[in-house]
Amino acid sequence: MTPLSQIWVIAKMELGRVFFSRRSFWVYLLALFPTVIFLGHAIDAQLKVKRWGGERGVKAELLDQAQSGMTDEQVLALVGKPVTDQTRKRRARRDDDPADKQPEVRRYMMYFDGKRRVDLRFEDGKLVSRNARVLMNFEDDRRVYAGMFQYFYLRLGIFFGCLGIFINLFRGEMLDRSLHFWFLAPVKREVLLLGKYLAGLIAAAVIFGGGAMLSFLAMVLPHDSVEVQTFWQTIGTEHAFWYAAAAALGCVGYGSVFLASGLLLRNPIIPAIVILVWESINGFLPDVMQKLSVLHYLQSLCPVPVPLPTEMPAVLKMLLAPAAPTAVWISVAGLLTLTGLVLFAAMQAARRLEINYGAE
Amino acid sequence: MSTPEIVFDNVSKFYGEVLGVNRVDLHIPPGITSLVGPNGSGKTTLMNLMTGLVHPNAGVIQVRGISPFAPEKLMKILGYATQYDAGPRGATGFDFINSGLLLHGFSTAEAEKRTWQAIERVGLTAAAKRKVAGYSKGMRQRIRLAQSIAHDPLVLILDEPLNGLDPLVRAETIALFREYAAGGRHVVLSSHVLQEVDVFSDQVILIANGMIVAEGQIKSVREEIHEHPSQYLLHCKEASRVASLLFAETHISEIRLAPEGQGLLVLTRNREAFATALERIALSGIDIDGVIPTDENVDALYEYLIGGGR
Repeated sequence: MTPLSQIWVIAKMELGRVFFSRRSFWVYLLALFPTVIFLGHAIDAQLKVKRWGGERGVKAELLDQAQSGMTDEQVLALVGKPVTDQTRKRRARRDDDPADKQPEVRRYMMYFDGKRRVDLRFEDGKLVSRNARVLMNFEDDRRVYAGMFQYFYLRLGIFFGCLGIFINLFRGEMLDRSLHFWFLAPVKREVLLLGKYLAGLIAAAVIFGGGAMLSFLAMVLPHDSVEVQTFWQTIGTEHAFWYAAAAALGCVGYGSVFLASGLLLRNPIIPAIVILVWESINGFLPDVMQKLSVLHYLQSLCPVPVPLPTEMPAVLKMLLAPAAPTAVWISVAGLLTLTGLVLFAAMQAARRLEINYGAE
Repeated sequence: MSTPEIVFDNVSKFYGEVLGVNRVDLHIPPGITSLVGPNGSGKTTLMNLMTGLVHPNAGVIQVRGISPFAPEKLMKILGYATQYDAGPRGATGFDFINSGLLLHGFSTAEAEKRTWQAIERVGLTAAAKRKVAGYSKGMRQRIRLAQSIAHDPLVLILDEPLNGLDPLVRAETIALFREYAAGGRHVVLSSHVLQEVDVFSDQVILIANGMIVAEGQIKSVREEIHEHPSQYLLHCKEASRVASLLFAETHISEIRLAPEGQGLLVLTRNREAFATALERIALSGIDIDGVIPTDENVDALYEYLIGGGR
């Protein structure tokens, strides 16, 4: 039996346990969370369209004619009845300064033209502000998806998901007192490690790659069919591919790191915190050090950069801002090299590993 | 050709500052070898060392010429029924054995065939498809034994294999050990139930506090300890007369009346001189109905070696 076929046999034996382990069931929740959010967003938008459209929907051209300075009566006459209409009167106070020119009456009207929600604010009967927002804005949603993917999915979802899956491959068996079963098989420890890693990788890639694809579809599909079709015909497939690839490569990188951690350390919390801090402060470090981060390579693969809000505190901005991206092929090669090095270290640890359940 | 011996060459193992075994030198030939010692004496450590589950801090181990650091070779010829109860999570008895055989490289059909054979051998056919987690202690013992013999190894290592077995299964299991050892294979087992191993063991290794205190055939181990007084039960009607004659012998250190009037319990420092003295007494016309060595079992020997002698 060749080492490769042994790796495959071990992976097949482990797959069921990795996919259906009660200990890491919460991993599915992490993977599906973005899908739930985007589905929720789509359902909410659909419900609003249904609720606000129909009889109360107005024509976009008429709404665009409502300009600042118009009275509320003029707007009502021009556009018609709004979806919501609220009036607030200012309460008179004893200490009111006569010089204070706060408006006495504020009125808020909300219109819906089938796509946009338009909020009009009137002060003392005059239109003073107009805020239009497309209910399902594809560009906005893509940016939101990019932000969610980089800040939640890569940094937290895949990170903690891989922690749950890979650390249990050896550490979990130590706790279950069943690792000796594998050590008594006629396989090299290195082969055993690669077999278990492969099982974890397949499971993590399916769960998180699948989660990335599902959430991407949940983000794209509810939009206007023409927009969606155009998107797929131009950059959609490429974006979907790179999101899935980044998720899968995240599992490759973080998986190796946590597999090694499970072999080297007893308490998984310690490596998790150390690696999380390392990944977070990575942006502060010199270029060479930044290359020792899984997140650095993953962010370089993401198809849509995430613009950080200008009002964000500088420190937070430094923590969240990705370092200058690395070329795609270097990112993939760098990540695989990093993984190879970590797995090599894990193999050395596996060779030295002893069965001493009493110490666990 | 590999050396058909299990060799420990000056092997020491420490768990941090706790001694596992210290400076062990052993040459275990094929046959049934029992490791005997109290809990914590180092029996399991020795077994784990020879199977590579733990690594020595010093010394070299070879199992029929193979290092425990090469599991891909060693586990082809070795089966180990550990003391650890747990198997892979959720595995049935059948899965437990079958998955191990698949890792040995047997085809699916061959692995299934061998699995059923091993399960049948330990009498667990009816429970094969039940989860190991639901097995009784005795059943777990048997399924571990089945797993260790399923690939027909040359070296069988068994940690307390008779624990939890009912008398019938125990007898069948001992027969299996004998059958295995008869083919020139190694059967190394541990026990702290001393009487049960001296009946079927070819060799015994006595271990205490991580050190080997004696090794070899039970009788030869016993003979090695010249200073140890041997105890005999003499069945005779004229106990007081025999006692007075024996007291004249310099090698006799103690004579007591046996409980329930069975005769005399005699402690001698020289077996041959004792035999000559008995012959002389018998020739003088005093009836001696029987002479039974009472401490040639492992218990007595062990007690003597570990307990510091009488």
